[in-house]
Parts: sequence; structure tokens; C-alpha cells
Amino acid sequence: MELLDRYLHAVKKHLPWEKQDDIIAELRANLESQLEDREAELGRPLTQAEAEAWFKEMGPPIQVAGRYKAQQYLIGPAFFPMYWFVLRLASLWALAIYSIANAIKIAVEIPTLSAVADALWHIPEVLLTVAASITLVFAILEFATVRNPSLRQKLAPLDSLQNLDQGIMPQKKRRSLTIAIAELVAHFVALVWLLLIPEYPFVLLGPGVAYLKTSPFVLTPVWMTFYWWIIALNVLQLGWRSWELWRERWQGRQTIQQIVFKALGLIPMVVVLNAPGHLLVTLKDPMADQAQYGRVLESINHWAYRGLLVVLAIATLQLLWDTGQLGLETYRKRAAAR
Amino acid sequence: MTLAENVFENLRMELRRGCLTLAVLAQLRQEHYGYTLRKALAERGLAIDESTLYPLLRRLETQGLLASEWREEDKRNKRFYRLSSDGERIFAQLLQEWQAINTAIHSIL
Repeated sequence: MELLDRYLHAVKKHLPWEKQDDIIAELRANLESQLEDREAELGRPLTQAEAEAWFKEMGPPIQVAGRYKAQQYLIGPAFFPMYWFVLRLASLWALAIYSIANAIKIAVEIPTLSAVADALWHIPEVLLTVAASITLVFAILEFATVRNPSLRQKLAPLDSLQNLDQGIMPQKKRRSLTIAIAELVAHFVALVWLLLIPEYPFVLLGPGVAYLKTSPFVLTPVWMTFYWWIIALNVLQLGWRSWELWRERWQGRQTIQQIVFKALGLIPMVVVLNAPGHLLVTLKDPMADQAQYGRVLESINHWAYRGLLVVLAIATLQLLWDTGQLGLETYRKRAAAR
Repeated sequence: MTLAENVFENLRMELRRGCLTLAVLAQLRQEHYGYTLRKALAERGLAIDESTLYPLLRRLETQGLLASEWREEDKRNKRFYRLSSDGERIFAQLLQEWQAINTAIHSIL
């Protein structure tokens, strides 16, 4: 039967080459027996339309051939939940970092509608790149663990009840008095150290002070503003911790306090980033050194500014994350109390 | 197909999948080649597509549950399958499991 030959030929094309002949021979024997039975029942050969209907019922050749192959996954059920979790988290982070970085960039440069549109236009590209990278990593993991099952056991996220407990119910340790006092002392020492820096810069730079004296560069006044903000924040933290000890409240978790200080910690960075002309370093003697060090100075300011932008973006994201976590925890507690 | 019909179809397929394997193993306590096996199952009320049954036989053989050999019958070369010794052991275990599930379901119903 010509149609059977054509059908089997089409199936064969999609089979693994090493098993093609064997599978096709078996399939042919089965289908020919079936065909004989049907023709014996009808007392005549199948018409073209009946034969076509029969093969249609069996399904497209690629699908029939596919059933002879081992089930394959790009990312199988063992890794898929972890993959999905990481993918969502990474996409969210990528979107947040991209948005903040672009918002800052647009704000510090000349804000235009086209700059905003350009930033928005590239969002799908960023998300697709992140998704493709994560998918590639997990596909490699799947590929490796299918060939090495012992590796899968090592990579299993929950390999014992101990891990399960830690994963679901993280231990929330209470601060001991010793830790609270040690932190207070450390804060006090850090504050003294900070206060000594202007008068004795070697406590910060060590032997590098010698270079500072001979260097043609000097920090701009914006760093003094930054410095006093840092001092103020440290004094505030020291005061807060002393008050906690005084009121015997050192045991509590300090999530809100940490968030408040992280938020305040952004202010000095914003102050520096708003320095006039983004000048963070300048020349001691511009008239004499501009020609020789002008380009170096420009480069230092450019990269220092960019670096601070990245630090600010990371700190902001951390703050948002902590705030989100706190909000979620509060919501869960309230929902559980209802 | 409506959503409810789709859900039913998926669940039906899942339910059938394990049962088909058990039925095939049970039927292959006697030797069969693909087509006669299909006919034998259909006669006992378990119709199964060619495109499902023939690959299933290959998979069960790869797993060591079936043994096969090519032999000529009615002037045609056919591949005959039967339970292997491992297959007999696992079939007995599966049958026990299926009977326990069946009893439990009956008692629940």
C-alpha cells in the first residue's frame, strides 16, 4: 500500500537514526496485520479516503515518532519550581536595578521624553536577556543531572528534614545583652575613629597620607558635607542603641530600626552625587596642573561618579527589599491573627 | 473542548496511563506481537491507540520488564513480546499495589 509506505517513511525521518529500521519494521508488521484484518472485515481493499482517515486517526508522523523517544525536558520537574522562583526573583531585581539606574541617569543628565522612551523601550530586552541567561543555566543543570543522577541528589534543595525546618521556619535569634553592649562599644569606637580622621588622616589612609600630600589632587568640599552626615548618623545610632539598653529593649528584632538607618544612609550619597558639576576630586593648583592632569582628573570624576551611582542603586534596592519583607511579614501576621 | 472537558480529559489520561501499563504487563504473561496484543486488550474492554501501545512496549522493554524476539509468522517478520523475569516480579508488586488502591477506593465510595 503506497500510502502506508509514505506514512512510515515520514515517521522514519523523525526517529533516532540508530533505531529507525527496527522501529519501522515492527510498525510495518503491526500496521499491515491491522490492515489485513480491516480489509478481511470489509471484504475489499480500503479506499483511498478510508486509508487516509485511518492514518489521520493515528496522528501526524512527527507525533508518532516522538512517542518512541525518551521524554525530554529543557528543564524537568525536579528543577522547574526552583527555576521558576529564581526566574521571577531575577526578573524583578533586573527590572528594579534597570529602572533605578535609568531614573538616576535621566535625572542627573538632561531629562528628556526621548530618554525616558528609550529606557522603557529597552525593558523587554533586559528581561529577555535575564530570562534567557537563567534558562540556559538551568538547562545546563538539567542536562548535567540527567547524565549524572548523583549530582541531582547533591543539588536537591531539600535533602533533609533539618533543611526543611530551616527553610520553612527560620530561627529568629534574640539579641543577647553581651551582643547589645558589644555593638554599642563598637559604635562608640567607630565614632571616635571617624572624628579623628580630619585631624589625623593616617587613621584612615595609613602610609597613603604621604601620597596625599604630594598628590596634585584634592577632595572637593562636598566630601566634608558627606563626612558630617556620616558623623550625624553614627551619633544618632549610638544614641538609639544607648536608649535601647537603658530601656532594656535590646532583645527585640531591629528590622524597623535597620530600615530607618538604611534610608538615612542614602542621604549622604545623594548629597555627594549632587556635587556641582559632579566634581568629587579637583586639582590643588588648577592653573599649574590642568594641562598635565586635566584628563586624568576628568576620568577620576567620571568613574567615581558612576561608581557612586551604582552603590546608591544597590543600597536603594536593599532598602526596598527590606521594606517589602517587613511589609509582607506584617501582613502575614495580621492575616494569621484574623 | 470546554475547560471542564479539558480538565476531565487530562485526569482521565493520567488515570489510564498507569492502568494501561499494568494491563499490558498482565496480557504479556502470554506472548504477543503488537497488533495481537492490541486486539486482545480491546476484546477485554481496554482499547488503546497504536501510537500509544507500540512505543509503550519499547519503553517497557528498555526498562527490562519485557523480553522480545523477531520471528516469522504468516510469512511476515514480527516482534514478539513477553514478560521478562524482572517484569514478572514487578508485575506482581504492581498488581498488589493496584488491588490495594482498588479496595481502598471501593471502601471510600
